[in-house]
Amino acid sequence: MATNPFKITLLISILSIAIALILIWGTAQTAPSIIHYSTLSNTPYIKVESINVTSNGVYIRLALINNGALAFTPTGGWVEVVETGQVVNVTIINGMVIAKLPLTPQWMGPASVGVKGIVSGTLNGSRAYIAFFDLAPIHIINTIGITNVSYADCVLNVTLSVNVVVPVVIGPIINMSLFTVSTPGYYVFETVGVVNTTVYAPAGSHNVTLTIRVSPALGRYTYVYSCNYLSGFSKYTLWLPIGVTYIYPTGNVTSYTLLTKTFVVGGGS
Amino acid sequence: MRVEVLLQFALAIAFIVLWVFMPAWSIGGANYSISLMPWGYVVEFFGETHIIPPPTVYAVWLFTIDAGLLPLVWRRSRYSLYLAALFSVLSLSMLMDTILFQQRYLQFHGYTIAPTPTGYIYVLLSTKPVLGLPTYILLALTILSIFNMATRARWLGTRVIEDPIIAIERVLKVLHIEYSRIEGGVKVGGIKIIRRDDSLLLVNDHRIDEVDLGTAITEAVKVGLKQPVSVGVIDYGED
Repeated sequence: MATNPFKITLLISILSIAIALILIWGTAQTAPSIIHYSTLSNTPYIKVESINVTSNGVYIRLALINNGALAFTPTGGWVEVVETGQVVNVTIINGMVIAKLPLTPQWMGPASVGVKGIVSGTLNGSRAYIAFFDLAPIHIINTIGITNVSYADCVLNVTLSVNVVVPVVIGPIINMSLFTVSTPGYYVFETVGVVNTTVYAPAGSHNVTLTIRVSPALGRYTYVYSCNYLSGFSKYTLWLPIGVTYIYPTGNVTSYTLLTKTFVVGGGS
Repeated sequence: MRVEVLLQFALAIAFIVLWVFMPAWSIGGANYSISLMPWGYVVEFFGETHIIPPPTVYAVWLFTIDAGLLPLVWRRSRYSLYLAALFSVLSLSMLMDTILFQQRYLQFHGYTIAPTPTGYIYVLLSTKPVLGLPTYILLALTILSIFNMATRARWLGTRVIEDPIIAIERVLKVLHIEYSRIEGGVKVGGIKIIRRDDSLLLVNDHRIDEVDLGTAITEAVKVGLKQPVSVGVIDYGED
């Protein structure tokens, strides 16, 4: 080769270093335009599914809504009820996120409350936290049922199991009857009209007893066929339509409910 | 063609071929990963795939090809080894610059945050940087090309040749000395070198000497250089 290899080498070296420097500079220049920005879409989120206020406590159920391909598995977290200031950890039961709070007097006021919190878990295997705030209506759940019935000497004793979040006044009774479970059926007694027997129960879980002397003195249309259980019959049904007055701080609410109980007297059927 | 230079070429090809199949640099994670491939950064984000091509990534393998190929194409001057070493260093620099590009523009760690109808979701994207096998090969290529430059691609030593006559022939061929092959040996000008069993005999007009291989080569070259010599090509011989 006629030309000096040193000169060729020098020339190529300078050229290639220059190309390298231009590329470094060019890459820095074009970087903002070649970078693609991505964000998550259709991410799972938390809604408050229900708030049930019962005499045992307040149950807040959180619904996990997976509306995309991203699957979130909850493992823990906490909620805070804004109106009452209660903070409690959630528990995961079969994939459902449930928070149980103690019942406090503040729960009797509002019709809905704001719930905020964080549910932790994994999203496609990555640790993730869902922070949420949601407003949800309160369902107050009061249950009253008959646990035991006895009737002797024209005196009816009805034991009521009362699970209520506010104090209640149970009564009056309208059109109650006790009859045999048989074909044909026979009445032991029946009343037509209102029996003004009431019993008071405080908030919480209690058993209260209604004692009613069944006699024509209760009203004009009270028919008493027997002061004891009928002989030869052991299975009876008590039909007890009753009014219940809930004593809320915002005012009293009276509702009517039908309580029934079928029971067996003695050992036989 | 020197084995050292072929090795350099093989490393360059191995780097590029391997790089097509595995990333030279990667940041791995469950839902977010970055892989440096010859065509750019392959970024995966929750099932989405994007390719980010920084221009320097193309320079990496272009310079690597130069570093491997140049000593094969330009064999006259040792400067080709110098240039090849420069190309391999530039190639490595471009790779480092491309990795710096990732550190500068595609760096991410910690939580990604996205709004939801009732709040926000925070997802922790843990990532682990890994230097891939192709990068180590490129590093080896750079070291080898610098070593080749320093030793003029002659560090492997002389090959072991079983037949001393063939060794002499090689030397003569390289020096472009005319010789003729005779039975049991070679003839250069007025001398013959004949192999007999384990020894070499130097036969000239008057006498027969038993010589070792070195002396035989020296004598053959001495005689051969008296010929009207045509200057041949000596690999990487020139300054």
